[in-house]
Amino acid sequence: MVGTRRAASAALRDPRAAGAVAVALTLCTAALAGCQRDDSALTLALAILPGELPAYREVVAQFERGTGERVVVVPQQYADIRRALAAEAAAGRGTIDLAELDVYSLAPSAHDVRTLDAADVGDLPEVLDRAALDAGTIDGLRFLPHRLTWQALVYDHAVLGRAPATWDDLVAVARAHPGRIGVKGALYEGLTCDVLPFVWAAGGSGERLDDDGALAAFRLFAELAPFLDPYSATFKESTIAEAMARGEIVLHLNWPFAMSLYASQGLAPDPIRSAPLPAGPSGRATVLGGGYLGIPRNARHPERSRALLRFLLSRDAQAGLAERLGWFSARRDAPLAGGALLAGYGAMRADVRPRPRLVDYPRLSRAWQQAFRAVVFGGADPERTLRDAQRELDGRAGA
Amino acid sequence: MTERRAQAPDAVAGAAPGGLRARLAAAPLVLYLAAFLAYPALVAVRLAFTDATGGAFPSLASFRVLVSDELFWRAVAGNLVVPAATVALEVVAGLALALALAWRFPGRRLVRAAVVVPFALPEIVFLTVARSLLGTRGYANGALAAAGLPAVDFLAPGTALSYATVVAVDAWRTTPVVFLILLGALAAIPEEIGEAARLDGARGFRRLAFVTLPLLGPALAAAVLLRGLDALRIFATPMVLTGAEGVPVLSTYAYHQWSDYGDDGAAAAAAMALALIAVVASIPLLRRREAA
Repeated sequence: MVGTRRAASAALRDPRAAGAVAVALTLCTAALAGCQRDDSALTLALAILPGELPAYREVVAQFERGTGERVVVVPQQYADIRRALAAEAAAGRGTIDLAELDVYSLAPSAHDVRTLDAADVGDLPEVLDRAALDAGTIDGLRFLPHRLTWQALVYDHAVLGRAPATWDDLVAVARAHPGRIGVKGALYEGLTCDVLPFVWAAGGSGERLDDDGALAAFRLFAELAPFLDPYSATFKESTIAEAMARGEIVLHLNWPFAMSLYASQGLAPDPIRSAPLPAGPSGRATVLGGGYLGIPRNARHPERSRALLRFLLSRDAQAGLAERLGWFSARRDAPLAGGALLAGYGAMRADVRPRPRLVDYPRLSRAWQQAFRAVVFGGADPERTLRDAQRELDGRAGA
Repeated sequence: MTERRAQAPDAVAGAAPGGLRARLAAAPLVLYLAAFLAYPALVAVRLAFTDATGGAFPSLASFRVLVSDELFWRAVAGNLVVPAATVALEVVAGLALALALAWRFPGRRLVRAAVVVPFALPEIVFLTVARSLLGTRGYANGALAAAGLPAVDFLAPGTALSYATVVAVDAWRTTPVVFLILLGALAAIPEEIGEAARLDGARGFRRLAFVTLPLLGPALAAAVLLRGLDALRIFATPMVLTGAEGVPVLSTYAYHQWSDYGDDGAAAAAAMALALIAVVASIPLLRRREAA
């Protein structure tokens, strides 16, 4: 201690050392000041592409002008937002004022956000799509649909001329273009979103792997398997979209963001176009996806968060997001997004279906994924694979 | 001299070993290790033994997920095969390059720099370049097409060729580490020993096998130990080139569980399996190092 004091006084006697200490202290103070959080701004955590951010900011700017608030939009992935909410809930304090979550991850995060009462949401329940509103109701209304999304067929019009309208057309296209049909076959939720539309289109429930619809869909998959791009086993949304941009595949299923990506590259609306999914024996279907907004349990300014939430779901804001970003609104009175670029998506609106509402949906989803991979990449028999998978699910449920 | 060196640390600290000042001097390091190594490791262990659905602790639920997952076993196999093949390839390539570039010739420094470039580049940049080179419509297939040859699916998921490609690309990026270690060791061999070997009639391969390689033994052992342990952590190369399912290894599998399924427990359990493999693998490597 004495030594330290002596060293300090010696340093202060040396003008150069004293100057260095002063500079170091100034820098530390400046760094600490720079790290101070701006508590006056609202923080909105959102799963948005960097390219979409400027257009989104334009819409948020209307709120800022109207209220004098400042909103910091933090682009993140849904998984990161979900973890951040869980961490803030566990810590008992947080920095996020409003968070967007994927419809798929609402249930696990439900208790990390506040319930919304009638005063919070105003007339929104009357103007929002009933099914979309129901998806956000978990032990009370907790999430409101910020945007809806679903998959459509994305195809190379220059190569195919027209999109396959039926399953038979799809098989014919696959045979004519071997190795150039893509499926998002990686083990993740995106694969389930590619599988369920076919199961539903064949009359399957999506809740059981061994019904007739599931079997019909998997027989189709087995028929298509030899003609799939070999990289399908690892494709996800972005990698399959890139493969199509490079001309490696001529057809796949994807979300609307892919069309925005192609438009930015000068590839859409021509040669790459969107179209409804091919119709199966029982018609057409596609999986409901989308981003839902919730107010974190430990939001610093709940009242201001509610005001921002109400603004983002207002007709003007939703119309702005539809126009600028091509997002589909859950408001029945909002204009439909898209134009020529998203024509295929618009045509699928009536065919959108939510995923099975089961407590153990993640396990069911994995079973669909593994069965698909066994049949398509492993050459397994569809009937036996589906029957075994359902038996295993039933066994686990019983256990 | 040795005695003075041995006393130096205490002399600098100005305190007896185990004394208060010595403990205070070590405190920042201990705190750092506790905060950034021990605590995260304990949290990961707790996570691995927590049931993700019910939150029960301790539980083997996450390990049951792993054991019943075919991709996990492919990842375990990949985590043994890919690092072993990579290290073998880079030791051979690094030794060959070090021997070749130990000679004095015009432009030697430029060639040495060129060999080190892949390691100097940011990993993601190097791998993105490699993917552009080896993709279905990449430059390599462009060159093959120009030569009238059929395209090659270097990265087709799960194929032997994709494993070989990942091994080759990873070795390409990390061979400079082995090269630099061996080049330094070669430079440290006294010229007199080479001279004596030549006078005794040892030339060419005999000189390499019976003089140079034995003298490089400790450096080779260090290179294998360093790269062997590092190679077990392989992640970016298979992930960028083939995705989590193409050439799975334990770190990509853990990432897949964490990112695609949001199963933090299974991800932590996979990370523990990787740590276990690293500990088991390090024992013989360390013994060999000590023997060398």
